[in-house]
Amino acid sequence: MAKALAFPSVAWFDAVRAVFNSDERYRGAGGGRCDCVVGLKIGEAVFVLAFEGVECVSAVAADDAALVDVDFFLAMSAEDWREMITNIAENDGADLHHTLNTLDLARDEGLAASRHGDQFREDLFFRYNQTLQFFFDASARVKTAVDNGKLVKL
Amino acid sequence: MARADAPKTGGKADGAAQEQAEAPRKYEPKYNWMNKSRQWGVRVPPGKAGLKLGDLNVGVYGEIPGHWTDETRNPRGAVARRGMPPVGYAVRDKAGLWADSAADLYEEAIQRRWAPATDVPWNTIEPLPDDVEHAVCQVCTELIGYANVDIEAITGWQHRMSYGYHEVKQFLATAGFDAARHFECFRKRALVNGGGLGLEGPGRVNRLILESRGGWTEAVVYLLLLRGVFTMTLYKHLERHAHNDAERFIYGHALTDKARHVTYGLEHLKFAIAHVDDQRQIVATLFAFGDGGLARDLADPVLKEALAVIFGGSVRGAVKKGLAGYGDFMRDFLGTLLAMCRYIDVPRDPARLPAALKEFAPVGDVAA
Repeated sequence: MAKALAFPSVAWFDAVRAVFNSDERYRGAGGGRCDCVVGLKIGEAVFVLAFEGVECVSAVAADDAALVDVDFFLAMSAEDWREMITNIAENDGADLHHTLNTLDLARDEGLAASRHGDQFREDLFFRYNQTLQFFFDASARVKTAVDNGKLVKL
Repeated sequence: MARADAPKTGGKADGAAQEQAEAPRKYEPKYNWMNKSRQWGVRVPPGKAGLKLGDLNVGVYGEIPGHWTDETRNPRGAVARRGMPPVGYAVRDKAGLWADSAADLYEEAIQRRWAPATDVPWNTIEPLPDDVEHAVCQVCTELIGYANVDIEAITGWQHRMSYGYHEVKQFLATAGFDAARHFECFRKRALVNGGGLGLEGPGRVNRLILESRGGWTEAVVYLLLLRGVFTMTLYKHLERHAHNDAERFIYGHALTDKARHVTYGLEHLKFAIAHVDDQRQIVATLFAFGDGGLARDLADPVLKEALAVIFGGSVRGAVKKGLAGYGDFMRDFLGTLLAMCRYIDVPRDPARLPAALKEFAPVGDVAA
């Protein structure tokens, strides 16, 4: 039986990458080529995902300074991230209230942001929105433990 | 064999000569065209994302001049044939249509395509309260109109653009197809759940778009920035208030498509402003005209009321929650539009917007 991986962690993102990269369904129906570098600010923790072609090619832990260089970053409290990941696990994909777009609109400060002021790079969030959604939806197939050790998917 | 009406000669040798003269002439190919290439021996290797259109811009094939003198359909890099009549392309300056991202956006559109008939989970649609179904169908009617204008405007300009800038023509072909897909899926959504089409929109901005006579850049201001950002923001908020997975899929995917169109629009305007004297001021003037058209469109209450019903969940909810949601949508739209105007170096002063727009302009958003 697979060991539950802690969210957030590089090991967890690598497991999601493995699911995402190997499932051809994510390449059709509006998915497909995606070239961007995405920061994730999960509470105080920072991770950087790199997408090339039809794959997510790397996930690394980083620090706040790295968010200057990414195309855009998604920032929420650790609690909100856990809620989103839990919702995805419970519904085999985000429900209507937990899509990246809905979460972006639901917060005063938005979900997606950038520090470079380059509109072209910031708009990649919308151009690749479905691929990013597919990526996080793929986490429903990863046995996950949130950082207090509670399993969200068996 | 001699023809029946040919004069008789009687001699054997004469007959042979006549047969030879009447035999079909043997075709002897010369293959001279094989020497006609401006650059031969090109080998472009495919990259991780395949062999992309932009990768082919090597050697003479990547020479993209500021003005395209050829007036025929000669593909860029090919040898021109003498005596070809001009086609009469109206847009022959690179500044009139170019965006560096066009080739990549074309690839992106091709690779990220989707099919409304089979990809949308239509079976997730269930009966909605009558007022909500009316509102959804009314909004779909408006969006069908927008998509129709997209198709007409893009195809109306596409054939006037010279072949020297094929990346843009090809990207716009995908944008036209995206618009056709949006037309299709909103029509399907309106007719799939017991409703029907509603009232046609007022269409002032439609006219501005379709009657742009000053060039493709003018059409881009109205079609891809003013209307494009409005529609893109609408998709975002409709996805947030989707009633089922089918609507969520439609709005989410239409949003992605529209984001590509807006990206091209932004990059083109940035390029045009950087390369044409006075273009910055012209774009600012066009926006001022566009603001007026949009304000008059929004003075018509139909779209606002329909959105308020969707955002509020019912006619009853429209009054407070729904109108608040409409305000959120308008603030998001104007905040995004003004930020994009700053990005292309055409900062706008919210204080000078028409009243119907000014009330939603972000506080503190001032021209640089």
